[in-house]
Amino acid sequence: MDLPLSGADASVGTSTLDGIKLAVARANAQGVPGGFTFAVQALDDTQQGVHNPQQGASNVRTLIADDSVLAIIGPYNSNVAAAEIPITNQAGIVQISPSAVSDGLTLGKDAAMLRRANPGVNTFFRVCTTDSRQGSAAARFALDLKLKRAYIVDDNETYGLDLANVFARDFTKLGGTVLGRDHIAPDTQDFKALLLKIKGYKPDFIFFGGTTSTGGGLLRRQMFDVGMGKLAFMGGDGIPDIAEVAKKRADGTYYTVAAPNADRLPAAKRFVAAYKARFGSDVGPYSANAYAATQVAISAIEQAIETNGKKMPTRAEVLAKIPRNAKNEVLTPIGPISFDKNGDVRKPVISLYAIRNGRSSFIEQLNLSE
Amino acid sequence: MHEFLAQLANGVELGAIYALIALGYTLVYGILELINFAHGDVYTFGSFVALGILVGLRAAGALHGAGLVLGITAALVAAILASALLNAGIERLAYRRLRKAPRLAPLITAIGVSFILENLIELWQGSAPVPFPNVIPNPQLQFGELEVGVQQIVVVALAIVTMVALHFFVQRSKLGKAMRAVAQDRDAASLVGINVDRTIAMTFLIAGALAGVAGFVGGVSFGSAWFLNGFGAGLRAFTAAVLGGIGNIAGAMLGGFLIGLLESFSTWLIGGQWSNVAVFSVLILVLVFRPSGLLGETLPEKV
Repeated sequence: MDLPLSGADASVGTSTLDGIKLAVARANAQGVPGGFTFAVQALDDTQQGVHNPQQGASNVRTLIADDSVLAIIGPYNSNVAAAEIPITNQAGIVQISPSAVSDGLTLGKDAAMLRRANPGVNTFFRVCTTDSRQGSAAARFALDLKLKRAYIVDDNETYGLDLANVFARDFTKLGGTVLGRDHIAPDTQDFKALLLKIKGYKPDFIFFGGTTSTGGGLLRRQMFDVGMGKLAFMGGDGIPDIAEVAKKRADGTYYTVAAPNADRLPAAKRFVAAYKARFGSDVGPYSANAYAATQVAISAIEQAIETNGKKMPTRAEVLAKIPRNAKNEVLTPIGPISFDKNGDVRKPVISLYAIRNGRSSFIEQLNLSE
Repeated sequence: MHEFLAQLANGVELGAIYALIALGYTLVYGILELINFAHGDVYTFGSFVALGILVGLRAAGALHGAGLVLGITAALVAAILASALLNAGIERLAYRRLRKAPRLAPLITAIGVSFILENLIELWQGSAPVPFPNVIPNPQLQFGELEVGVQQIVVVALAIVTMVALHFFVQRSKLGKAMRAVAQDRDAASLVGINVDRTIAMTFLIAGALAGVAGFVGGVSFGSAWFLNGFGAGLRAFTAAVLGGIGNIAGAMLGGFLIGLLESFSTWLIGGQWSNVAVFSVLILVLVFRPSGLLGETLPEKV
């Protein structure tokens, strides 16, 4: 697998890795056909404290060079995925991301460009949903919360910009007002100039497309320094760890996660209990997704081993066993999973969370069946 | 008007931090003609020392009433001492033995020291940004059209007091005179009995102390400390020093405030993603059209 395991993304990266480890441990305990065992090879795509596409690409090459690697779980971030997909596509190896949500990874011209080495084959899947689904859901949640006037800020990265674009489009379509938009530069420390400008527009809330590490945390924190502490702040699944940077100042933050709420799904209760028992901590925002992604990969590999007469299957044989329709869905803590022809899940769910007293609490969820 | 004044105040706050860091570049350049690229990381170090003290005191429950003022003072003093000693240590270990080497050697060494410090700080504090405690109460005050936070006033006031103190130190004290003498002509200064090594060490100590003040006010102002903070802030402060005229003390202060204002106003008027472009365009323009900087010619005496 490839994830950001150090630096600003470390906490989400590590809890995601733990989801993978749990799925692998469980599969090994149940016994793998042919007497094989699964192992997790964890590579970190962080450089200088931030997830890095070049590092991700180099990690994926390392994994592909190892013949015993039959599937890759990861990456966490969309811009890293965009650098990795052409490589995994060329190698024909299954890659499943728990959380890379940018539309262009699976949809439209951008995705076609990523698959240009092997245009007829898709090797990239994701168990999360897409930016456009998440952005539209966020627009609906905002209006449900009676937040009608938005100022939109994004970090100019693949994920953040896409999310902000879709949110802006759908929020306007549903009757909200977008007062203005801004992009922030990497490594910015002072957001007060930007916030003072936004203050002049008197918005109901700020929508942020980006992650805690690309500016979300400091933006939220510095809102208090310019007298905007009471204003609502909303973002996508890039900011569930915002309380670690903004502390008590994170209260009043809303965020969406492109997955069902694990505590509420009966199938998920067992996962949550097993996770807590093994790692002694609460599940991270993408632990369940990582577990699900790993389950899908394991199920495909095990089926491929069976059809190959209990011998080591090829990467192409594993790819052929990825679930494609309701009949061979894999049951996971985030619901039954199968993929459409683009590599996206067929039954997406988006949840809304709010931060209160420094802790995340679940508010509502939307089922988006296309 | 209200917004203009708010951006002005923010620009001055940012500028005060850049000016403090820029002074460190300029002092060292003045005396050694060396761009101390590790200076930004000394600033980061100061920030983390202040943060450590404040977190420790808060955990001990000492940050209440009079303890708050004492705690803030302790954090500030610790940041100043730690940064000053670190900077002087760098000079002693890395630069002193290269004093007679070609100018490129200490310059590359400075870049190396910068990488070493960044990585050591990462090992010490991890690579994620660490939240800086909100110790200074920050109610917003209204002065007519101008709205400023108490925290902003503290940051700017601390910076200005520090700069005034530096000015008097360099102009009036015996050591300040020695610094100016060594800057003008090292050999002549040693002929009249000035201990050159000690004077240079003293300059690094003072430059480090300024970085310590900047580290404290920067942490307060931005609300976080990060092992790579010094890189970005250092580059902007370096730009400020060049803009004002590298080696010139008044120039570094002027340049710092101008760069802070430029960053604030470019974010307001053309958008946040362009503020770096605006700042570093200034660096290029100054280097091309006025390499001596704004005050470089009118005040030829350097320190």
